Amino acid sequence: MGYVHDTHMSQYIPPTAMMGTTGTYTQAAGAVTSTIAFHRAAAASTGVINIPVTLPSNSVALKGAYLKSIEVDYELLLAAATSITFSLNKVTRGADTAVAVVSAVTVTQSLAASAGAETQDQHKCTVTLTTPEWIDNDCYYLLVMTAVCGGTVTIDVLGAVANYTLRV
Amino acid sequence: MGAIQDTAMSQFIPPSLFHRPTGTWTTPAGQVAGTIVEHVAAADQTGLVNIPILVPSNSNALSGAYLKSIEIDYEILVADCDAFTFVINKVTRGADTAVAVVSAPAFTQSPAAANCKTVDQHKAVLTITTPFWIDNDEYVLVEVTVNQAATTQVDFLGAVANFTLKV
Repeated sequence: MGYVHDTHMSQYIPPTAMMGTTGTYTQAAGAVTSTIAFHRAAAASTGVINIPVTLPSNSVALKGAYLKSIEVDYELLLAAATSITFSLNKVTRGADTAVAVVSAVTVTQSLAASAGAETQDQHKCTVTLTTPEWIDNDCYYLLVMTAVCGGTVTIDVLGAVANYTLRV
Repeated sequence: MGAIQDTAMSQFIPPSLFHRPTGTWTTPAGQVAGTIVEHVAAADQTGLVNIPILVPSNSNALSGAYLKSIEIDYEILVADCDAFTFVINKVTRGADTAVAVVSAPAFTQSPAAANCKTVDQHKAVLTITTPFWIDNDEYVLVEVTVNQAATTQVDFLGAVANFTLKV
């Protein structure tokens, strides 16, 4: 059999796959006609948007998807936020009757949380894993976007793109 | 080009992609900090959850994804369910003006049905009796019927499909 090792793979993650807590979230048309967005209504609170990283995984070590970075396309409207911070949770699934275990993966973000990522504007923030990881079949990853908001700002998340190496 | 065949592929399906036509569902944080779930509030009701199996398909026979099993992670809280059952539905898409056709491939499940409805964290594995290649005119849904007692709550954390990839 042949062998594939492609270091330039990417996967689009639509806003319909995202989940938000603390705040009111809706599926809305994007600010640009014909785009779609996960929209957070204005609220003076800290919103949390979870972005599931829907890549293939593999039960064999060093195979499947090697997650390197995730890009998030979003727009802050009407006002700036106080900060936009990204973190990455790795969830190790539990066996039957056992709880899942969550650990934090070290990442850096291309836009500073309070000096670039929070401005009223369109944004593309790249979140890079300090140490990329092969995704085991018993694990998955959730990118967490934490938005400290004043009472005016609204958020549209247009989508995300995960960048990875595929080896099968 | 050579063909590749990887028998150890898996695909995570997040709870945000689940379809829940009956019951009152919300998307809060999970019981374990840092997780996300589809949550059904306490009510003496029977709800449905459909899990779309997002693996590749292929228009060539014996190519693409060979679906072997599906694992569902969930938690039952407060009280046992009256029943908690699974069905795998294979949907053959209709041509224009034609209806879709649904069949139910046979499978075995672990743990047994009686243990799937208890208050606890669960990882149910549905093993397809005769695995199949997914044609580009087909897709697969796992239908979960959640028969709650009056105080039962349920959190779905996600699912994982296990398949062989041949391309």
